[in-house]
Amino acid sequence: MPFSPYLNSMRGHCRALVEALGRRYAYVSVLGTDVHAAVYRADRKTAMARDGEGECGFVIKLHNGRSFYEYACDDITGDKEELAARIAARVAPADALTDRQITTAPVADPPMVRDFVRETDFADFDDAYLLDVCRSISAELCQKDDKVLNAIGMLQPYTVSKLFVTKNRELTQHYGWANGYALVIYNDGKMVQARHVEGGDRLRDVIDATRAKLDDVLDLARHLTKAQPIKPGVYDVITDSSITGLIAHEAFGHGVEMDQFVKDRAMAKHCVGQYVASPITNMHDGAAATHSVASYFFDDDGVLAQDTQIIKDGVLVAGLSDLASATQLGTAPTGNGRRDNYRRKAYARMTNTFFSPGTDKLADMIASIDHGYMLFETNNGMEDPKNWQIQCTAEYGIEIEHGKLTDRYVSPVVMSGSVPELLKSISMISDGFTVHGSGFCGKGYKEWVRVSDGGPNLKVRCKLG
Amino acid sequence: MNRIKAMLEATPGLYGYRVSQKAVQSYELFFVHKQLETVRSTDTLATDVTVYVANENTVGDSTFHVYASMTDDDLQAAIQAAVARAALVRNQPYELPAGETLQVQLPTNMADADPKELGRQIADAVYAADTVPGGSINALEIFLYRDTLRVINSRGVDKTQTMHRVMLEAIPTFTDREQSVELYEDYRFTVFEPAKLTAEIAEKMQQVADRAAARKPEGPLTLNVILRPHEIRRLIGELARDCAYQSIYAHANLHAQGESWQNGDGDKLTVTMKAVVPGSERSAHFDEDGAALTDTTVIEKGVVCGSFGPSRFGQYLGIAKPSGNLQCVQVAPGTLTRAEMEAAPYLDCVSMSGLQLDLYNDYIGGEIRLAYYYDGHTRRPVTGITMSAKLSDVLGGLRLSAETDVFGPYQGPDRALLPNVAVL
Repeated sequence: MPFSPYLNSMRGHCRALVEALGRRYAYVSVLGTDVHAAVYRADRKTAMARDGEGECGFVIKLHNGRSFYEYACDDITGDKEELAARIAARVAPADALTDRQITTAPVADPPMVRDFVRETDFADFDDAYLLDVCRSISAELCQKDDKVLNAIGMLQPYTVSKLFVTKNRELTQHYGWANGYALVIYNDGKMVQARHVEGGDRLRDVIDATRAKLDDVLDLARHLTKAQPIKPGVYDVITDSSITGLIAHEAFGHGVEMDQFVKDRAMAKHCVGQYVASPITNMHDGAAATHSVASYFFDDDGVLAQDTQIIKDGVLVAGLSDLASATQLGTAPTGNGRRDNYRRKAYARMTNTFFSPGTDKLADMIASIDHGYMLFETNNGMEDPKNWQIQCTAEYGIEIEHGKLTDRYVSPVVMSGSVPELLKSISMISDGFTVHGSGFCGKGYKEWVRVSDGGPNLKVRCKLG
Repeated sequence: MNRIKAMLEATPGLYGYRVSQKAVQSYELFFVHKQLETVRSTDTLATDVTVYVANENTVGDSTFHVYASMTDDDLQAAIQAAVARAALVRNQPYELPAGETLQVQLPTNMADADPKELGRQIADAVYAADTVPGGSINALEIFLYRDTLRVINSRGVDKTQTMHRVMLEAIPTFTDREQSVELYEDYRFTVFEPAKLTAEIAEKMQQVADRAAARKPEGPLTLNVILRPHEIRRLIGELARDCAYQSIYAHANLHAQGESWQNGDGDKLTVTMKAVVPGSERSAHFDEDGAALTDTTVIEKGVVCGSFGPSRFGQYLGIAKPSGNLQCVQVAPGTLTRAEMEAAPYLDCVSMSGLQLDLYNDYIGGEIRLAYYYDGHTRRPVTGITMSAKLSDVLGGLRLSAETDVFGPYQGPDRALLPNVAVL
């Protein structure tokens, strides 16, 4: 599937609009998006094949040598002088606010013309096949165990085309990603849900990997029906890679989004160069840091993807910035300017966020715990970058006793406490490494973007409830 | 809309169609501290078309997006592709809502306001509360929206609803020699009352000052925990979701009609799903199918008594008159008085990371960022604690205040008391 023919046809319109607005503003960029998504889903009784959350439109970003303006619309064809005048009128502040606008340095616009493509295999599969895959996942799960009340198979491929134009730059990118889901609703005296999620840019691999996990999903469901609440307390804990990613993302990642530095909303602003984690800890973020759901080639500000090391040997070394925050802080943007869609503002956002692997063996880590828990599968988390409190919810945990995993499951498990205490308690890091590319991340309670997170297993000490 | 409608009418073999079109105009202000960082404006139109195809006693549907970029040929191809997709989908048959037209504007005092001037007035109302020594509003985002939603279908539905709404996100912060703390708050309204907004922000400014003074209580506690509307809404929303047609049809609901959520001597919940809650941006006069909305009581005196949801799933369950997909919820007031609340030690939760609920695992809990701990003698701010309990236990002894409040789509008691909750 090629780069969007529509956006290709709009290059000239973008250049003309940049030129027209360039007579009014020192910096002008136009981002065009054409995102196509599909949802295939089947359960015991219903099926679905439809468009998913797609978008097609334009957002114009302006800087007048002082502060920022943005205008989002569906169409930029027509008279460009007229459009430029309309945009300028629409983004003007009330007169009483003009003397309260920020003043920043000019926005850099280094020359670059590049086209980036990462091919998928999505065109190899038609609607009928993909819906049949979902039906077969659902049917197989239902047939395997009569305690399955319902089972869902779902595939969600999407392809992204983006065109970014300024006076000196013209960039395009085209890539895709797909997620596969298998979920059961199961009742064996207690009703539970268990699921498995796969992600990748090869649908064949996603389908095969999802199908391969059906027995695991049922096994988990059976165990969850026997799960007990955890006794609240402070425990030694081993995280699976999903919970490791949740810690990286919620506990620390949000706190190094540098738009929060600008607003004095992040404790991390005052901790650059200081130990924030145990000295064996290393953490990265970046669209170019690993290959996963947030591996784009340039961000929504037209900044090329990077690999940012956030924590090096326990010391906080860098944060993540979008164009606006970097301009205000006088730093170089890190390629983390992301939008929910073209209608929404760009903020400093995480991409693929993970802890680096260590040298310990998982078996040794479990063996080192006399009594504690191993936690699995992210449910949700909530950041508190100013006060560095965390709340991360795991779907379930398995009790560790005398250095061995037992058959005793607890669910759900809420991990909470102080971020520095948690990160400084990291005492062992496994040599494994998995990044999970099925997540969505909000900023506050809005601005949803696709993210991945993960890493190795960590041994930490923290409060569970 | 007319171009799309004409093409759909001319498409052979359709069981029906629906077109949903939402025009959004926004004006947005982003402040860093008290300075204006970014001004945004949007002018967009989102159009979704759903085609329905009948096939051997089944109905299939498929939805696609219409973009401004689409030519007539593109649109025709998209319709044909959706018809082919819908033919693959074989669901239990259902009928689309029929023959109603409506044009309505939800009540507001912002319809005639100049967005630039209104944005300034809202900013001024927020910053008017920035008067607490040591306090500041470190960030403020203001979103002014004018939404126009139109839904038509092949059975004569043609409904339009216009709404003016504001969403704002403010970050009250307090800094002293030892530390700097913040609370996150968002506000959503359809009627702008400057004095009320200033008062609400001022209350948050005082609370964030209290957060700076808050300490972790010594040792674990077991005591009554009081939730405020933000968390009550979350709790009630979860219980209501168990009554949704889709949950019931998918066998995902825990409680059937006639079964009780509450075994105990607390205040019994009466929960009604509603179309309109005054001031709520979730208020609506029709749902995404264009179906009329009928207020429906789903829990009465603690017992499941009804269900709600989209017409299609209502028909699947044999509901004679489906409610439509209601978005607002009303809870009947309880009997809890302030004197009763203060008769025993309690923890009044002002701000949580997020109330965690797991109906299947009978769990309620969450990290508390700011609460007021009353030990029977004095009331002081506390932080750095986590609550957890069995949901069935706290529902059994649940007490609801007689005083009510409106918060977003929630209308009901302004306090809910959960008995004997473990706090660590």
